[in-house]
Amino acid sequence: MIQFFHVAKRYPGGQTALEDLTFEIARGQFVFLTGASGAGKTTLLRLIFREEVPSDGQILVNGRNVASIPQSKIPYLRRTIGVVFQDFRLIPRKTVFENVTYLPRVLGIPLKTQKQMAYTALRRVGLAHRLNAFPPELSGGEQQRVAIARALINEPDILIADEPTGNLDPDLSREILRLFLEVNLRGTTVILATHDRDTIQRIGRRVITLDRGRLVSDLEIDGSDPPSLDPAEEPAAADPEPSPSETATAAEPAEEGT
Amino acid sequence: MSFLQAVRYFFREALLNLVRSWKVSLLAILTITVSLFLGGAFLLVTGNLAESAERWRGEMRVVVYLQPDTSAAELSRLAAEARAAAGVSSVEAVSPAEARERFHQVFPGLSNLVEGWEKEPLPASLEIGLAERAARPPEVKAWLDRWRGRPEVTMIDDDREWLGQLETAVAVVRGIGLALAGGLLAAAIFIIASIIRLTAFLHHEEISIMRLVGATEFFIRGPFYAEGLLQGLIGGGLASGALYTAFRVFEERSRSTLFSSLLATEFLSPRQVAFLIVLGGIAGLLGAVVSLRRESL
Repeated sequence: MIQFFHVAKRYPGGQTALEDLTFEIARGQFVFLTGASGAGKTTLLRLIFREEVPSDGQILVNGRNVASIPQSKIPYLRRTIGVVFQDFRLIPRKTVFENVTYLPRVLGIPLKTQKQMAYTALRRVGLAHRLNAFPPELSGGEQQRVAIARALINEPDILIADEPTGNLDPDLSREILRLFLEVNLRGTTVILATHDRDTIQRIGRRVITLDRGRLVSDLEIDGSDPPSLDPAEEPAAADPEPSPSETATAAEPAEEGT
Repeated sequence: MSFLQAVRYFFREALLNLVRSWKVSLLAILTITVSLFLGGAFLLVTGNLAESAERWRGEMRVVVYLQPDTSAAELSRLAAEARAAAGVSSVEAVSPAEARERFHQVFPGLSNLVEGWEKEPLPASLEIGLAERAARPPEVKAWLDRWRGRPEVTMIDDDREWLGQLETAVAVVRGIGLALAGGLLAAAIFIIASIIRLTAFLHHEEISIMRLVGATEFFIRGPFYAEGLLQGLIGGGLASGALYTAFRVFEERSRSTLFSSLLATEFLSPRQVAFLIVLGGIAGLLGAVVSLRRESL
C-alpha cells in the first residue's frame, strides 16, 4: 500500500529532514510513527500525501509513484487519503456539517447525499447531534472528532494523523486513539505520528521510530493495556441510538451546503 | 463534478463572498463604476458631438451678412448672383424681419433681446447652401473671399471653419476620455486584484483544507474568478444605470438649449451599453487572473 525506497528529503538551506528511508506499510496496518520533535515524522507524513516532494528515492502509494505524479493528479491521490492534524484545522465560521463535507462538495455530490455522508461520518465519531454547531462551540476533543469525521467522510484507504492527541488531555486522548483503532479495524490503513511513548507502549502495534531523519527501528510490539475493540460493537464514542425525531433533525441539517 | 455544477458552485461562493465582505466588494465595484461611468460619459458626449457634426456637415451653409441698409431689391439681386455661382446648391435671402422672426422661434427665452428697437436689429443675409462635392475645394474658398471683399457684405460666417474645429475638438476630447477611462480601468483592475488577493488570504485556511481533501486548482480558484467577474459586471451595470440617469437629468434640465442639442441628443445604443458592462466584466476577471496568476494561494 505504502512503500518508501531510499527516500531522502533535504531543504534548500541544506537542512536534512529525512535520509535514506526504506520501509513498507501493508494495507490495513496500524502504524505508530514516533521520534523526538524534529525527527522527521511530519515530513514523512507530508510526503505520503504529496505536500512535500522527496529529494531522492521513490514513494509508492497504492501503486502510484507520488514523487512523480503530475501536479494535476495530486487532488485525486489526496481523495484516497484522510489527514488529521494536531490543531484540528477546522474553519471556525463554518458549521460542523460544512467542515466535514468539503470533499463531497468538491466531488459535486448532491446535498442530500452530503447530508447522509456527514451524518454517517459524524455518527462514527459520536457527534451526529452537533451537525449545526460551529467549531468554537465544541470542546477540543469534539473538534478533533469533527476533524476525524472530515478525514473519514469518503472512506479513505489511508488515514494519516499527525500528533492528533497533542492538544488533548489524557482521557480525551484515549477516546481519540480508540477511534483510530476502530477505523483501522474496518480496514483503513492508519499511520499515526506521536511522541507519546506511553500511549504506544499501552496500545502496541507496529512502531516506526525516527531519529534525526533516519529510521532507527521498525518493531511490532505488544501493548501493555490494549483497549478491547469489538468490530460488531458501536464505537464507544458514538451517539446513543437517536430517536426517530432526532434522526429526522440530524438527517436534515442546515440548508447551507457551502 | 460537471463543469456546469462547478460554475454554479463558483458563482454561489462568489455571491456569498460579495455579501460577506460587502464593504471591500463595494470599493471594487465602485472603482469599476466610476471608471466606466467616465468612459461611458466621454463616449456619449463625443458620440453625440460627432453625430451633430455629421448632421451639420449635411446642412452646411455659408451665411453672408449684408449692410443694415440693404434694400429688398438689392437682396434679391445678390441672391440671384450667388445662385448662379458654381458649387452653390441653394440660396435663401433672409430679410431683417425674417431674421428677427427666426430668432423668436429658435430662442424663445431670449425674445426680448430683439424687441423694442427703432430699426430692425438683425441684418439681412444670404444663406448659401454648398453642394456636397463643392464643400471643400479652393475655388469655393476663392469665391467666398471675393464676396468678403464686396462693400455690400459686412461679414461671412462659414460653417465649415468651426465644423472643422469642432471635429478636431471631438477627436481630442475622445482621446482624453479614452486615456482617462483607460487609466481608471487599469486602477480598477489593480484594486480588484488587490481585493481578491486579500480575500484569498483571508480564506487561506479554507483553501489549504480544500487542497488537502483533494480539490483541484480549478475548483479552488473558480470562486475568485467568478467574484472578479461579478464585481466587474455589477460595476458595468451600475455605470450604465448612473450614466442613463445623468443623461436623463441633463436632458430634462437643459431642454431646448444649445448644450442639449449638442451633447445629449441620444443615449448610448444597446450595443454600447452591453460593451460597457462586458468591459466591466472583463476588467474584473482580469483583476482576478492577475491576482491569482503567480500566487500559490
